[in-house]
Amino acid sequence: MDHLIEVKNLKKYFQTPRGELHAVDNVTLDIERGKTIGIVGESGCGKSTLGKTLMRLHDATAGQILYNDVDIAAMPMKEFKKNYRSNIQMIFQDPYASLDPRMSVLQLVEEPIKVNNKKMSKADVTAKAKEMMELVGLATRLESSYPHELDGGRRQRIGIARALSLDPDFIVCDEPVSALDVSIQAQILNLLQDLQQERGLTYMFITHDMSVVKHISDDIAVMYLGQVIEKCPAHEIFTNTIHPYSQALLSAIPIPNVHVKKERMVLKGELTSPINPKKCCRFAERCPYATDQCRAEEPVLRELKPNHMAACHYAEQFVK
Amino acid sequence: MAKMQTPAMEKIQKKNARRKKAYKSTPGRESWKRYKRNPTAIIGLVVVCILILIAVFAPLIAPFNYQTQDYGAMMQAPSAAHWFGTDQFGRDIFSRIIYGTRYSLVIALFCTIAAFFTGGLLGIIAGYFGGIVDTVIMRLMDIFQSIPMIMMAMCIVAVLGNGIPQLVAAIMFASMPTMARNNRAAILRVRGCDYIESSEAIGVSQPRMIIKHMIPNAAGVMIIFFAGFLAVSIMMMSSMSYIGVGLAAPTPEWGLILNDGKAYLTSAPYMMLFPAMMIMITCFAFNLMGDGLRDAFDPKMK
Amino acid sequence: MSENILKVKDLVIHYETDEEVVEAVNNISFEIKKGEVLGIVGETGAGKTTTALGIMGLLPDKVGHVIQGSIELEGENLFDKSEREMRKVRGKKISMIFQDPMTALNPVKTVGEQISEVILLHDQCSKAEALLRAQKMLAMVGIVPERYKDYPHQFSGGMKQRIVIAIALACEPELLIADEPTTALDVTIQAQILDMMRSLQQKQGTSMILITHDLGVVAEMCDHCAVMYAGELVEYGTVEEVFDNPQHPYTKALYQSIPSLDKDVERLHVVPGAVTDPSKLPSYCSFADRCTEKCELCEKGDPECTEVNAEHWVKCFTYQQKKEGK
Repeated sequence: MDHLIEVKNLKKYFQTPRGELHAVDNVTLDIERGKTIGIVGESGCGKSTLGKTLMRLHDATAGQILYNDVDIAAMPMKEFKKNYRSNIQMIFQDPYASLDPRMSVLQLVEEPIKVNNKKMSKADVTAKAKEMMELVGLATRLESSYPHELDGGRRQRIGIARALSLDPDFIVCDEPVSALDVSIQAQILNLLQDLQQERGLTYMFITHDMSVVKHISDDIAVMYLGQVIEKCPAHEIFTNTIHPYSQALLSAIPIPNVHVKKERMVLKGELTSPINPKKCCRFAERCPYATDQCRAEEPVLRELKPNHMAACHYAEQFVK
Repeated sequence: MAKMQTPAMEKIQKKNARRKKAYKSTPGRESWKRYKRNPTAIIGLVVVCILILIAVFAPLIAPFNYQTQDYGAMMQAPSAAHWFGTDQFGRDIFSRIIYGTRYSLVIALFCTIAAFFTGGLLGIIAGYFGGIVDTVIMRLMDIFQSIPMIMMAMCIVAVLGNGIPQLVAAIMFASMPTMARNNRAAILRVRGCDYIESSEAIGVSQPRMIIKHMIPNAAGVMIIFFAGFLAVSIMMMSSMSYIGVGLAAPTPEWGLILNDGKAYLTSAPYMMLFPAMMIMITCFAFNLMGDGLRDAFDPKMK
Repeated sequence: MSENILKVKDLVIHYETDEEVVEAVNNISFEIKKGEVLGIVGETGAGKTTTALGIMGLLPDKVGHVIQGSIELEGENLFDKSEREMRKVRGKKISMIFQDPMTALNPVKTVGEQISEVILLHDQCSKAEALLRAQKMLAMVGIVPERYKDYPHQFSGGMKQRIVIAIALACEPELLIADEPTTALDVTIQAQILDMMRSLQQKQGTSMILITHDLGVVAEMCDHCAVMYAGELVEYGTVEEVFDNPQHPYTKALYQSIPSLDKDVERLHVVPGAVTDPSKLPSYCSFADRCTEKCELCEKGDPECTEVNAEHWVKCFTYQQKKEGK
């Protein structure tokens, strides 16, 4: 298999006054070239931190990030910026906050091109920026508008144009549609899929929305408190959910169909603290199946079916 | 076009019809629109503009030379000839106050600019780099702030003598810590914004980040404090002159005019009333303007 | 059980500033029966929250204007009431839960105080009694009653929303308006809160307006469903009718644009264009510019509500013609 990105035992800890916060804890993932990996989880599970660590917006505490077999986590920032920054790009969650309010649309799209091609003439930069605007479906008449005049969908298109203008091959999409209305969300999802096909892009799609992730991903990784607890091809997460947390996550989604009255698995309590976590299954406190073993031993992510991995002591019970 | 026409809509449509060019919304224009909506801010702005005009055209407005002593007209109460009366040397107080506007505004501006380029810049550096740089700069500023302003001014005057540069230096040193703290907070607020992270992701260099993203976005907040500092500087300057460590007589500075009248407070209260009112009006106007600017640049801060 | 608790008739609400008039709510009418749950669905700027604020009498001062219409609560028009009378209605007869539980609570008061405050305001009882009732309310929303002495920051997001609900239900209101009560929460917590709200609603027999953008939540919680677009109700009916037999092109498009969990689709159906700006509404059908099923009438006038059946109506020319043609 042709892996564009291989993440190996990646850790990102933050020092807080109350102790060490394990935002990303020992994550190992392979991302296939031209495919989309979906990262799902609730707020505080470390999915955004994972994305930002891949972007080197955070420095990894330990572990490797191999991009085309080169470890980009360990290399000096200068070298990363020079050789790899444009290859790995990001689309941000909040299109309202992630665009400089004092720049016009054209300036915003021009900026990445200008910054990374110092020798390019001004006319060429503008031409390229306009080409990018067209690519993402932004009318050129909007070029002198400011972000505050545009709706969420158009703003997110600016964010996509900025990321794409550097011709990246890997894009981290950090909840790109969660701030958008459903009708606009569909437009952006379709746009992302079209761009992937045209340009052979590889996506890491971070979201909390199960139906979105299922629609857009080839593989799905479910995260809980900094760890990947289940990883499988997208369709399997719905046909054969193994980890109890994934089961709960799925059963919690309200389905827009009046005739489906599903048995809901309502979890007890809320997310436990990711600060100085105990050496045990991190889901044990909320898990309806938890035993003493779960509270004493940390389960490892293991392959239960071809391409389907889960981190649960009793995973075999749930394999169909 | 609308679902339901109301009087309010007709009013706006009429207003738009009068406009020749279509309205183009930019962040600057939006700020001005918010400023305009605030009547007290407009009053502040108008008063400041009048003061500037007075300062520029002082020779044309003042009926007398500010230092001509007229021993035939000493200690006169306000009259048609001398609107604000005369002092113990027979100088026209009105003319002196008019000329004093020049000193007050120009020196206040100098002080604020000086404080901005010392304390303000240090604050920006502290806010941007953080960590040890931040700690060192901010503790230094704390030390500065613990020295009483008047005492520092007296030391400066004792060593270097009276004069405008000394006055500017004293006020600058006194304002630096607050200026540093404000600018640091402004930069920190911008630094936490998502668009800084998104610019970092596309490879924007540090200098460009500061110049193109951080300063323009923090500028609004900085301007707000700038206006406030003008008022503070005028107050400081007058009080220092009043106690004799600021400018030296016979400069027509408001604090000095106040000082002149001090001895005659009971017999000729007008000698202190008018300069005091002038100081009050000026500071009030700058503060009103500052409040208006705050609402204009930073509607969320209220 | 067919008694109407709330009757909104021909309601028009505008926001007026010096630069523009936002037509937030345009001529909407609906009724809620006792014990019924009505879901209002729509996108940002559709006027859902404005409708709720209008019912509560909490439209922003100077800017928000009720242009016409009436809101009757148990037969009394709320617009005829003075501000003082309205204060007695709010909290006692109608309560509202806001979207963000973080800002709805007072950070310097214990949660027990905050719940008993509402009780003391509306019911004649002693302080001790109110506190006792507050503890009962906490137990009811699934929080250990002993925690009544804790401050809001000691609770997590989901817990805070439970407390907000406890405050809203403390005086057993006739009508509860919940404005996106679970949008700020994670799915597993949302499931807990929705479960709890449903069981409380059934126990107390409260009528409820549930405002949301999530069709899944409506399907699960509501009896009736109203779809809102650009300040208008474009479709109204029982949940079964609206979900199984949607007639308005916007409602249909809304279903098709959500990625489905049980079906595989290559591409999502897209509603073209951006959400209609409520300060620039056309005089004809507001959805016409984005509509894929429009006919020659759509850009000429505003459609009337057409009945699909006794429990279901739709505001669309295309449907009207289809029905007449039959």
